[in-house]
Amino acid sequence: MRNGDYSPNRFQAQADAVNLICGAKTQSNPENTVGVLTMAGKGVRVLVTPTSDLGKILACMHGAPEQTPGACAPLSLGARLSKTPRLGGYEAQGPAPCLEIGGEMNLAAGIQVAQLALKHRQNKKQQQRIIVFAGSPVKYDKKVLELIGRKLKKNSVALDIVSFGEEDEEKNEKLEALLAAVNNNDSSHIVHVPSGPSALSDVLISTAIFTGDGEGGSGFAAAAAASGFEFGVDPNLDPELALALRVSMEEERARQEAAAKKAAEEASKQEKGEQQSTSQDATMTENVNPGTSEPEKKTHDLTDDENALLQQALAMSMDDSSSTVAVRDTDMSDASADDHDLQLALQLSVQESAAEQSNQTDVNKLLADQSFVSSILTSLPGVDPNDPHVKDLLASMQSQSEQSKEEDKTPKEEENKSSILYTVLRGVQAGGACNGI
Amino acid sequence: MACLHDHSCEEHDCSSDWSLYKHIDLSKVSALNEAVSGSVKSVFRAWEHRLNSSEGHLESNEGDPELIVFIPFTSDVKIKSISVVGGADGTSPAKMRAFINREGIDFSDAQNMQPLQEWDLMENLQGDLEYQTRYSKFQSVGNITLHFSDNLGGDTTQIHYIGLKGEATQLKRDVVATIVYELMPNPSDHKTRSETGGGLSQVE
Repeated sequence: MRNGDYSPNRFQAQADAVNLICGAKTQSNPENTVGVLTMAGKGVRVLVTPTSDLGKILACMHGAPEQTPGACAPLSLGARLSKTPRLGGYEAQGPAPCLEIGGEMNLAAGIQVAQLALKHRQNKKQQQRIIVFAGSPVKYDKKVLELIGRKLKKNSVALDIVSFGEEDEEKNEKLEALLAAVNNNDSSHIVHVPSGPSALSDVLISTAIFTGDGEGGSGFAAAAAASGFEFGVDPNLDPELALALRVSMEEERARQEAAAKKAAEEASKQEKGEQQSTSQDATMTENVNPGTSEPEKKTHDLTDDENALLQQALAMSMDDSSSTVAVRDTDMSDASADDHDLQLALQLSVQESAAEQSNQTDVNKLLADQSFVSSILTSLPGVDPNDPHVKDLLASMQSQSEQSKEEDKTPKEEENKSSILYTVLRGVQAGGACNGI
Repeated sequence: MACLHDHSCEEHDCSSDWSLYKHIDLSKVSALNEAVSGSVKSVFRAWEHRLNSSEGHLESNEGDPELIVFIPFTSDVKIKSISVVGGADGTSPAKMRAFINREGIDFSDAQNMQPLQEWDLMENLQGDLEYQTRYSKFQSVGNITLHFSDNLGGDTTQIHYIGLKGEATQLKRDVVATIVYELMPNPSDHKTRSETGGGLSQVE
């Protein structure tokens, strides 16, 4: 399960797929419940009893540094009436247990425990379904598996099998035989996922395992796939960040049209902006030094592109820029090392804007950098947002954006970057401001 | 216990006695180990149509004669007797075990639990046989689960008709939906009249 044939490694790919499926199932019907159990290692162990609380499941899946190989986590989902429920559940004891990689996969026992867990579900009206992730070789006979399959069919438990990892004909044969024994009216499915560039989750999204539940499930899956977690891990790990980034994208798009009409006014505004940013930079320099020592760098991260542009802007607006800039850049690089996700996001937005760079003039660029600079400055831990200089600068920036309302269709580019950062920083700043700025 | 009608069926119209099928909640009827999902609903009909299985019958899976039929009612009923029409060639059920007012019984439960009553069935292709219940035990039945554990030697078990004779009350046996148990009394949950305005009592 540590193999890299599925990126990043088999176990991680499996975990992602599990999370995705859990999310899809819980969303598709509010009465669905999902549970998780592992099959390898010391023995079959139920990690989460069937619950409709997605957070609990995700916490459990993440709550382990390493994981059990070959341990596919059969999920059990509870659903109402015509939907499929699943795994029954034993009460998980205590906090999320650690998932370790080790041992062999015990498919038969895993399925039987899953069936038992499903049997004891709270809402008897739910239909039962087991989803098995079979990454390791199957050591049971075909006959045993067929027997299990028939028993599942008799008790009207549906079974979905996701076969990945080790490829051998025996394994495929056995799993197909198991499916044939369980299948009742095509309610059970099997998916073979070969190793390759596309992620396990992506392949699964298009299969019947997702679409079998129809509406909600496929909608969720489609949304997740389409966004491709464009801002890093979008909803799962950091919802506020995702929200902030999304909001800022929208804001800047709205402002883009307004900003597109800058032409004549840019020059005059720019001079004004320069003066203010000069004083601003001086203030910022003083404050940055104490700021660097702060452990909690809640500020944004800049990519190298940003740094370069920043450098450019500062160099243009200030005379004694070299030392200041050096200090500043150091700070930024430190900060940038921390939050990989934000970096990714910014990089993405920069790339998008860079693609549409043709119409932008240097003046625009500079102006954008000015506002960019100012927005960064306001978010630095050492900077006081109530500082009159900052306030003036912000006011001027805003008035500039408002006034520049022309029909020019120049694309986002710098505005993109700056507005994104601006808004994000704003959000972050709100938190940062409370930290005793 | 099986008994034949002690009168000629042409003279006496039996169908009104076997009218409990009208009180069955057909949408919630379910069966385990049925070959065709949903086919169980077709076995509940009026008595005069008991032999008319043109709309299908209930059949178990190949090689497995066991069947469980879960029948919920729209109101509580009293069941006097049960009639079962099976299939030919040994596909008729041989044993029937009944459980009442329990949901979600599956095969392992059915095999381990003691049924409320158990019958040995005979082949009943004409639908004349009825099996009486211990009436005192079947007084307020919200749902009944019939477990057919064996057949007369066939590969599968077929059931064409299940008839229930008895009376329907208008009552409904309701499950208490939510009960809140207090470990410790919480005064805010118990607003008295004095707090809401009016009244003389006071609760600290």
